[in-house]
Amino acid sequence: MRILIAEDEPVLASQLKKTLMSEGLTVDVAIDGAEAQYLGETEPYDVIILDLGLPIRDGLTVLKNLRSGGNDTSILILTARNDWTDRVDGLDAGADDYLTKPFHMAELSARVRALIRRKAGKATPVFSKNEVTFDTRTNQVMVDGVPTNLTSQEIAVLSYLFHNSGRLVSRTELSDHIYQHDGDRDSNTIAVFVNRLRKKLGSDLIETVRGRGYVIKATA
Amino acid sequence: MTSLRARAVTGGILWAVAIIVLGLAGLASYLSSQTQARFVEVLETRHSQAIVAVSNNSDAASDLVRAIGDLVYQVPNSGQYWQVESADGTIYASPSLGEERLPRPTGRSFERLRREFTGPNAEPVFAFGQWVTVPDGSTWHVQVASSLSSFEQEQAVLRNTLLTAFAFVSLASVLAALMQVAVVLRPLNQLRQEVSGRWEQEDGLEVASYPVEVAPLVNDINTLMERNRDIMRRSRRQAADLAHAIKTPSAIMRNELDTLMSQGADVQEATDALDRLDAQLRRSFARMRADGTDATVGVATDLDTSLGRMRRAFSALARNESKTFKATYAEGLRVRMDQSDFEEVMGNLLDNALKWATSEVRLDAGQTPDGQIMITISDDGPGIPKEELEKATQSGQRLDTSKPGTGLGLAIAHDLIHAYGGKIILSRDDDLGGLAVHMRLPFATAKRSD
Repeated sequence: MRILIAEDEPVLASQLKKTLMSEGLTVDVAIDGAEAQYLGETEPYDVIILDLGLPIRDGLTVLKNLRSGGNDTSILILTARNDWTDRVDGLDAGADDYLTKPFHMAELSARVRALIRRKAGKATPVFSKNEVTFDTRTNQVMVDGVPTNLTSQEIAVLSYLFHNSGRLVSRTELSDHIYQHDGDRDSNTIAVFVNRLRKKLGSDLIETVRGRGYVIKATA
Repeated sequence: MTSLRARAVTGGILWAVAIIVLGLAGLASYLSSQTQARFVEVLETRHSQAIVAVSNNSDAASDLVRAIGDLVYQVPNSGQYWQVESADGTIYASPSLGEERLPRPTGRSFERLRREFTGPNAEPVFAFGQWVTVPDGSTWHVQVASSLSSFEQEQAVLRNTLLTAFAFVSLASVLAALMQVAVVLRPLNQLRQEVSGRWEQEDGLEVASYPVEVAPLVNDINTLMERNRDIMRRSRRQAADLAHAIKTPSAIMRNELDTLMSQGADVQEATDALDRLDAQLRRSFARMRADGTDATVGVATDLDTSLGRMRRAFSALARNESKTFKATYAEGLRVRMDQSDFEEVMGNLLDNALKWATSEVRLDAGQTPDGQIMITISDDGPGIPKEELEKATQSGQRLDTSKPGTGLGLAIAHDLIHAYGGKIILSRDDDLGGLAVHMRLPFATAKRSD
């Protein structure tokens, strides 16, 4: 799952990035409105965290531009302003949720997870398939009730496939959603992650559609 | 003296008094001298007639009564008299004198002498007397007299007539002054009405519709209004900027504390202090907003627009939590509140309602028969116990700490609504079972169509 953080305060941005990455999310940071809009338009994010008080181009304009360009990525606006008018402006311009500063990190990650889940059309935060359960709140994976250790990349792949269960996901799409904007991408490593997941979680959880990608079939 | 009207009326009265005193004195003295001249002229004529009669009848003086035959001399005490005295002292007099006689001057003047003395019936009389020598060589003293009381009566009638006329004139001039004041003051009245009734027009007052004497004042008022709005806007912006400047560092500190806590450090006291700081900031900013609200400054919010925004925003937020939000309102309503203040109230209350609701939040807006705007926000949450309803709107009271938030929403809404002269009442919603917040807000008149 890829997240864009558009926040001009470097310390806060790095705190946000650290927290979200520790939860197995892939995070890019934009430090001004122009960069945020560019990344939002060109990269396939699952959630954009958009501060309204950005330099160069304010957050509200970025939001409007993204929406008018047909971008329907879930957007959570952050505002330090007290005014409800600002929040309503944002929501009315197409934001999916808002959070006012100061906020608790736990609150932010819960909102982000909820947005990801909602986009995937999932009502509960816990996915299960066969004997595997995946709790999106804790990134805890259990097989037959026994906790299993996964690396952050493995969790990222599993999480994306679970959130899109029932849908064929190509290797490119997977790598788009688990690698950072400026990170090294190698879609062959995706195959490596999938193989490791199969070894740890059982071979029938993730199915391969040859030449096209992977799918976790929806539970009936 | 503070009243312009009183000033004008006093001015009018003083002016009228001056006119009466000067005009009456001048006119009365002129007319009086005219009357007096005519009186003297008439008496002179009568004297001349008497002299002619004596000249013609010097041989038969007893015929004088017939010769000076004017009827006024026949009636006793008529006030018109003549008296003729021969050189030997024989006196002939008009029947009007009866037994009375006019006094004769001591000297023997052949000039016409005018005299005033007390005549018959102790009346003051005015007389002409003269010694004349008639053609037959005899000398006579011819005297005519006229009572002054008739003259004085005439003068009195004249004075009264004049006084009445001037009373009317002065009354008319006071009335005219009043009317003039009303006409002159009309633009000022208009200004007052416009200032109190049309504050809400962002475009200010129309200078061109006022007389040139008042226009500079209207201009000044416009400038003041604009400056007032400016100050309000600026102080709000400053408060918002300050909030922005403080909140980001506060968020950073909070995150650091969270991290330390997750690493097992005891940061409870620091976290509490930061909580207090944040709550105090939020409270202060809300207070600044409410204090900076001047309900007399021209503002109005179109509910179609503002509630439309609220409906879209909160429908989205409700959907996020699998709840529903319904907003029902009549079209064309306008409240006399600044839009951001109105949205602050609605945002806080709807946010609260959504937080507590089990599944549904409703907003209903309409107009009361007395023209106020009534808005009710209700939810199907647990509500507030009856005994705590009043406490709920007091500043910073947080009734339940189980849900996130500083518990300021209701207090902020309460302060803002009061700043605009509105009312907020909490109750239990009969239909949904949760809290119902009823607000009565001042109605704003419709926008001018031009």
